[in-house]
Amino acid sequence: METRVLLKNRKPDRILDLDEYRASGGYTAAEEMLQTGRPADVQEVLEAAGLLGRGGAAFPMGVKLSTVAEDAPFPRYLVCNADEMEPGTFKDRVLIHTSPHLLIEGMLLAAFSVRAEHGIIFIRPEYENAARILEREAALAREHGLLGKNIFSSGFNFDIVVHRSGGRYICGEGTALLNALEGKRPNPRKPPPYPTVRGLWQLPTVVQNVETLCFVPHVVQNGAEWFRNLATGPDEAGTKIFSVSGRVRRPGCYELPMGTALSEIIETHAGGMAGDGRFKACLPGGASTGYMPESMYHQEMGYKGLSDAGFRLGTAAVMVFDHSACLVGATVNLLAFFARESCGWCTPCREGLPYMHDLLRRIENGQGRAEFVPMLREMAGQMGLAYCAFAPGAAAPVESLITYFEDELREHIETRRCPFETRGPIAGATK
Amino acid sequence: MPKLIIDNREIEVPEGTKVIKAAEKLGIYIPRFCFHHALGAVGACRVCAVKFQEGPVDGVQMSCMIDAQDGMKVSTADPEAADFRRSVIEWLMLNHPHDCPVCDEGGHCLLQDLTVAGGHGIRRSKGRKRTYTDQYLGPLVYHEMNRCIQCYRCVRFYREYSGYSDLGVTGIAGRVYFGRLREGILESPFAGNLIDICPTGVYTDRPSRYTGRRWDFERTPGVCIHCSLGCRTTVSARYRQVVRVEGRFSQQVNRDFICDRGRYGFYYADRPGRPRNGRINGQTVSAQQAVEEARDRLQRITQEHGPEAVGIIGSARSSLQTLSALVHLCHTTGWQGPVFRNTWIAGAAADAAVRALSPENAFSMREIETADAILAVGADPVNEAPMLALAMRQAQRTGAEIIAIDPRPLDWPFDFAHLACRAEEMEETLASAAERLSASRRPVVICGTEITDDGIVMQAADLVAGLRGSDKRAGLFCTMPQANSFGAALLDESNACAADLADRIETGQIRALAVFESDLWHVFPDRSRLSTALEKLDLLVSVDFLDTPLFENADIGIPSLTVFEAGGIYVNQEGRAQQVRPAHTGGLPIAAAGLGDHPPRSFSPDVPGRDMPAAWAAAFSLSGQAPPETDAQMTAWMRDNFAVLADLAHMEADGVRLFAGRKVSIPDEAQIPEKKPDQFLELLPAPTIFGGEPMSGHSQCLRELAGLPAVWMARADADRLGIADDDRVSLGFENIEVTLNVRISDPMAQGVLVVYRHPDIDWQPAPDGKRIFISEDQIRRIEKA
Repeated sequence: METRVLLKNRKPDRILDLDEYRASGGYTAAEEMLQTGRPADVQEVLEAAGLLGRGGAAFPMGVKLSTVAEDAPFPRYLVCNADEMEPGTFKDRVLIHTSPHLLIEGMLLAAFSVRAEHGIIFIRPEYENAARILEREAALAREHGLLGKNIFSSGFNFDIVVHRSGGRYICGEGTALLNALEGKRPNPRKPPPYPTVRGLWQLPTVVQNVETLCFVPHVVQNGAEWFRNLATGPDEAGTKIFSVSGRVRRPGCYELPMGTALSEIIETHAGGMAGDGRFKACLPGGASTGYMPESMYHQEMGYKGLSDAGFRLGTAAVMVFDHSACLVGATVNLLAFFARESCGWCTPCREGLPYMHDLLRRIENGQGRAEFVPMLREMAGQMGLAYCAFAPGAAAPVESLITYFEDELREHIETRRCPFETRGPIAGATK
Repeated sequence: MPKLIIDNREIEVPEGTKVIKAAEKLGIYIPRFCFHHALGAVGACRVCAVKFQEGPVDGVQMSCMIDAQDGMKVSTADPEAADFRRSVIEWLMLNHPHDCPVCDEGGHCLLQDLTVAGGHGIRRSKGRKRTYTDQYLGPLVYHEMNRCIQCYRCVRFYREYSGYSDLGVTGIAGRVYFGRLREGILESPFAGNLIDICPTGVYTDRPSRYTGRRWDFERTPGVCIHCSLGCRTTVSARYRQVVRVEGRFSQQVNRDFICDRGRYGFYYADRPGRPRNGRINGQTVSAQQAVEEARDRLQRITQEHGPEAVGIIGSARSSLQTLSALVHLCHTTGWQGPVFRNTWIAGAAADAAVRALSPENAFSMREIETADAILAVGADPVNEAPMLALAMRQAQRTGAEIIAIDPRPLDWPFDFAHLACRAEEMEETLASAAERLSASRRPVVICGTEITDDGIVMQAADLVAGLRGSDKRAGLFCTMPQANSFGAALLDESNACAADLADRIETGQIRALAVFESDLWHVFPDRSRLSTALEKLDLLVSVDFLDTPLFENADIGIPSLTVFEAGGIYVNQEGRAQQVRPAHTGGLPIAAAGLGDHPPRSFSPDVPGRDMPAAWAAAFSLSGQAPPETDAQMTAWMRDNFAVLADLAHMEADGVRLFAGRKVSIPDEAQIPEKKPDQFLELLPAPTIFGGEPMSGHSQCLRELAGLPAVWMARADADRLGIADDDRVSLGFENIEVTLNVRISDPMAQGVLVVYRHPDIDWQPAPDGKRIFISEDQIRRIEKA
């Protein structure tokens, strides 16, 4: 059953304006918390609620906030990560276009919880509309005293700027994002120190995804238990916006209880498989997660559930493939993306991914050799020793391809052609 | 102190030591490309992977990123780690050219070594190699991007370590490119270090391309003599000529790097015009004949006119051997001198510095890197002692505040506060700036000796003494004009300068002059007086390895060996005596001896040009004494004859520190420099990194970097005089008229015109006792054609 918390005010043709948002109870959580609460209250309720970061890494937000030490230096920063570069993911854009003030209020509360005075929304440049909406609505909020100095007469100051990214995938990585904001190359940083200790310009910085921040007002207002009960079971918490795409009848964003079964997402909400397609596999959380095979069609889609099954929910961008799709070809496509988007810092990612892409492309084009498969398996494993999480993510589809669809790979090699023949050969080096 | 086990051997290392360094202490070399001890660990190349078998860290990890901790058990040979390292090499070799046998970096290439060592021998990839367009980066560094393995060492050195920004990274993923935004000459005077630091051949030594393989070279530890710091070098020679100089690690002096003047300054040693034969009245003779003729004629003049009629001049570019032999020469013959000071003022400041430095307060460059506040007075490291600028930058990177008191426009690769003032204001500015060191714990005062006088040096020494008195670990660091200025000051008993001898020549007291490795034209401010004086002499002997105007005009010319052929001991500006070994045997390079054939087709049992003496041996011969036969005997002779050199017996890897052991004598009343008159500007001649130093000025590749000769002035002065940037002006003073381009700078001291020494300025200004003032109406703007 669809449970709309974040998307409850979604309108087909326009955003929710400030008056409508306030009429629906918006900013009451912030007002009450800023006037009567303590920063620790926000941290505690988020920790109790088990709100996990929705950007892909699933780190508990309450725990992250509590790592900003009481005596940490000022100014502190709150960065909203609206880069949303993970292929297949489009929930943050929908959220901003639904209710920008929900995000602003969420940022206000999160900032209050660590006494950060500067908020930055780091947004991908393709989202220019969303960026303008946020700039406009933030100005409006400032006019109404919801941002700026002495908000709700509480003495707390907080303001937001919108920063457009340079537009590369890696800029959305939490620490690379900080380097990008500082005007440096977006190479990830190696913690420790974590950004909450030394982040933007070496000052305490909390980086959170749009969806995570949007939950904050709701959790603060309704409490931890309410939030936990939104999920299908006791191991999960809250709802999740699934960005469903691929061979389904109704692709789109669906806010569903955490832990909803894959089959329910596809059949009940996304209208079932498109045409006469049969479910073959899906990527559960964007391009940097592994393929879930048909045997997992009824898998419950939650952070805990998928992790127990050896998968990652990631951004919950469910990309569905039907029986006519060549997964080798699909993986070549994904690897081309990752090989192109590597920041170029460490060797496995910069050189290994194009190598893997080259091998897999040869297999797809009918020039594959049997020894390519163990080479790919070894290299995919070695991506785990790269500098940041980019290369292991890029290798995840390859690893699952070899694990669950080795026969399809072998068929390409043995028959020296792609058995699906949906298109001509894939062109060479993608540099 | 964590204790850990690496490859079944236990080692205890200081807290914070990376595992890769801990392994080094056991003699275990873990492969690395991006890791460099001077640049630190960044974890980019991933080739230093090792397996952590037990302890707080688990599994394969990068040994450069992990601090050694108690209880760790590390295996470098574990198959998982070794396989991963082999994969990393394979990935790096995917796009690296397969031309090692003909590549000019072959045999000198870390990538080649580790590829062979790592066991990746057969290419499995069927893919094409990516290629890049190379850039022209100037006359020193050759760029070959196809070889790049993206270790990021170059940009980390160039931008972070040395503070220049015109070389950087562009692009992402497999198209990462290391170079300039547009091709052009690298701006950093430390750019040559890119060659040393690149683990493969992306940056190679341009002037020495195709001169030989690493294994063809005679490689010898050397010490740079192009400024007073005495940086360590490795000299590569082939076919009796030096072809390449690289930086050599020194714990206390330069650490890993050297400047481009030091790297490319050696070409004077083999330039075609270098004197390799003796000359008597313009006739070419053998070196030995010239020595004998000089000895006989000097003895005749001594007999006829007494020993006071002979003067000896040396210079601080000579080795300690030569300097002590000259002192000995004058002792035994009664000749006048030796005079080591070019001019009285520069000598006085350097002498004050030598007196002020003691084992307690003299800081090395290593100690400057750890300073938390630096006050530099009258010192321009980039131009006077380039590597000092890098040491100061390291201090600044760790938070040191840097203050400069100097009239010149300063272009340093780090942030600093510039208190621009004229010489007469320096004392007061220094006194007030000293306050700003009060909060520091490890302050350093850097004092120049080229544009300052002894009063400022003593004031700086007093300041350091005061800081040490208030419980700070304060240090004094003085730069000096030449490589052996400290050694010359140690041995100098006369405190006379060349101008004093000129007086005695003019009065006829001195009738013969023997000048050792000094070009009076270069250092003597008043040239017309100099030539008149020299013409009055009965005999002028010049001993030199440079074809200076003095050598050309001497009655007798004796060619001497360079430091590469004779070696020697040089005492740097902190009193550190360092031994230089000869890099190759003396004699005509084979390229020249082969009469055009190279390699030569004819051979003889003798080495042509072999009979040139070291300057110190020539000095002994002039008095008819036999010089010590070997270098070791010479060093022993020096120890025995000069108390101040006795510690040479304790020469170690980092050299040995020699000190004057004399207390600072504070003058009763400080000499306040003459005040600048109104309506006048002071002309301040200043040293410069490229082209201003007599030896490296002969390197063609460095002359290309010297830019155009220019006069620098403060914006306020230029505005008042109606002069704009890039105008040409004519400056008239005394009997000299020079035309120069104008550079306007802010900040620099008002009322000062700075002219950097330049090979194209025939008039080579050197600091003199008296300051040069130019009337404002003698500064004329020249209309451009």
